[in-house]
Amino acid sequence: MTISQESTTEAVRALVDKHLNLTAHGFEFGVDDDLWNLGMTSLSCMGLMLTIEDTFQVELPEEALKEDTFRSVGSITAAVRSASEVRA
Amino acid sequence: MRTESASHKVRPDQADIVIVGNGALGLFLADELVERRAGSVVVVGPGNRDAGASAAAGAMLGCFGETTTESLRTDASRTRFELGVRAHDRWPEVTARLEEYSTTGSPLLVTPESHVVLNSIGATLDTVNYEAMIKALDEYGKPWAEIDPNEIPGYRPRLDTRALKAVHLPNEGAVDARGVLAALENRLAQTDTVLVDQTVAKLVRNNGQIIGVELDDGHFIEAGTVVVATGARSEALVKTALDDFDTVPMFPGLGFAMLARRTGGEKFRSVVRTPNRGFACGLHVVPGPGDLEYYGATNRLVDTVSSVTWMADVRFLAQYSMQQLDERVASHEVVKWLAGNRPVTLDGFPLIGWLPLSGLYLLTGTYRDGFHCAPLLAEHVANELQGKPGTIDPMFQPTRKPIETRTIEWSIDEYVEHNLAGWFETGAQAAPQMTTNQIADYYRNMAIKFYETMNIDYALGPDILWYAQGSLLGARRVARYFQRLARAEAQPVGA
Repeated sequence: MTISQESTTEAVRALVDKHLNLTAHGFEFGVDDDLWNLGMTSLSCMGLMLTIEDTFQVELPEEALKEDTFRSVGSITAAVRSASEVRA
Repeated sequence: MRTESASHKVRPDQADIVIVGNGALGLFLADELVERRAGSVVVVGPGNRDAGASAAAGAMLGCFGETTTESLRTDASRTRFELGVRAHDRWPEVTARLEEYSTTGSPLLVTPESHVVLNSIGATLDTVNYEAMIKALDEYGKPWAEIDPNEIPGYRPRLDTRALKAVHLPNEGAVDARGVLAALENRLAQTDTVLVDQTVAKLVRNNGQIIGVELDDGHFIEAGTVVVATGARSEALVKTALDDFDTVPMFPGLGFAMLARRTGGEKFRSVVRTPNRGFACGLHVVPGPGDLEYYGATNRLVDTVSSVTWMADVRFLAQYSMQQLDERVASHEVVKWLAGNRPVTLDGFPLIGWLPLSGLYLLTGTYRDGFHCAPLLAEHVANELQGKPGTIDPMFQPTRKPIETRTIEWSIDEYVEHNLAGWFETGAQAAPQMTTNQIADYYRNMAIKFYETMNIDYALGPDILWYAQGSLLGARRVARYFQRLARAEAQPVGA
């Protein structure tokens, strides 16, 4: 299954929005915006990680389970695509 | 008969039983098997025991000093507790047997007694665990006496952290862990047991049977029976032969301790310790061997086994030993930094028994009293290896599901209480208008959100909860384990 970069980014963005409740609170955020500055906590990051793995059916490598990976929609998308390639 | 040096150099190709791991559990088991003439035994483990729990242990022979409100609250916890009580009775014979093989120049039993102090810095968790200890001592008819804290030899804390209460436990002492391990090795070296100073890279199987182990340099040792007793590394090693087997997950509980030489003031002559505390075993000093003193306390669940420690833990141990045990500790000379990884299971209970691969046995998960329980467990495991009935409850089998001892609500309460204990002991500061209840609410909300996010209905102990909410890897391991468990249960029988 090949998923385009754009659709992965959009899907990640939607999951981030749902977990951090950003749009509902009037926040606009771009692909590179720092989610930690937008109020992500270690707990919301944990939930996001589990949802991301479930949605894209990937297992992120252990070294990717760190703050930086979840810093932005862009960095999460990159990690998901990298893990998907390994799986493929 | 072999000499010690020859024993370490021999690289056998075959043995009846290979024990992987040269900590207390592995060596006591080897000793028991040799006594029984149970066949040829090879023990594989690195001589430096880097990051191992046994070599870093304070080796307090304490079961009542370790009591918490949880110890006797459920049948499962009581069974676990009574392992310690039974193990305790073995030690006089053990130290007597090993003394002649010791080369430390000091008695292996460094002290026969303990004092447990109740000071005000550890929050209410200290108080309830102190009371639980006295209740347990009475229930089991063990001797204890209240004592004026000022009469405890060596105990000279800062006045603001002084104890107002203390008990003397005349039958709970400590051994020199490193001396005992060396004595066991010396004793084994005088038998046909071979101690191989290497690590096992993987277990080797053939269909449904273990057939041996492969060392880190590729050397193969054939054996029909293999016991894995490599502490916090055990789960990873078992996976090399049983990739799809889900035992109760295990995490390294990294502990830090210091061996220091006293330069002045009155020596400690007994173990002096607080009750068990927030996430850990309480601050303690163990006298000996010789003019050394062992200071320990820390426990931090971590992602991977290592022998490094956090500066925060160094600061914690040094500062609180000075404040809460003896001001003179400030001028002690640290002669050794010790770091070891306790094998901590998700449910807090040991993993002892046959694995679903013929000939493969697991002996680990003993958390903070593996050393203390080792002689008792050695007898049990030796029985099982010889096809005889075991001597302990079969509830600790590694094929079990996690043992349940609490509700989610209880787990959240415990988490709050442990965090408050840590908060006050470490001198954390809140705004003056903030109350203890508000701090408790913060931790309570954290724990509630954690359970909502993880979507699990198994109630975790406070240490596992603390770790999993702060580690993405830890949280994922816990969450995925319960998902796999739920899927397996949903499968029809025979599927």
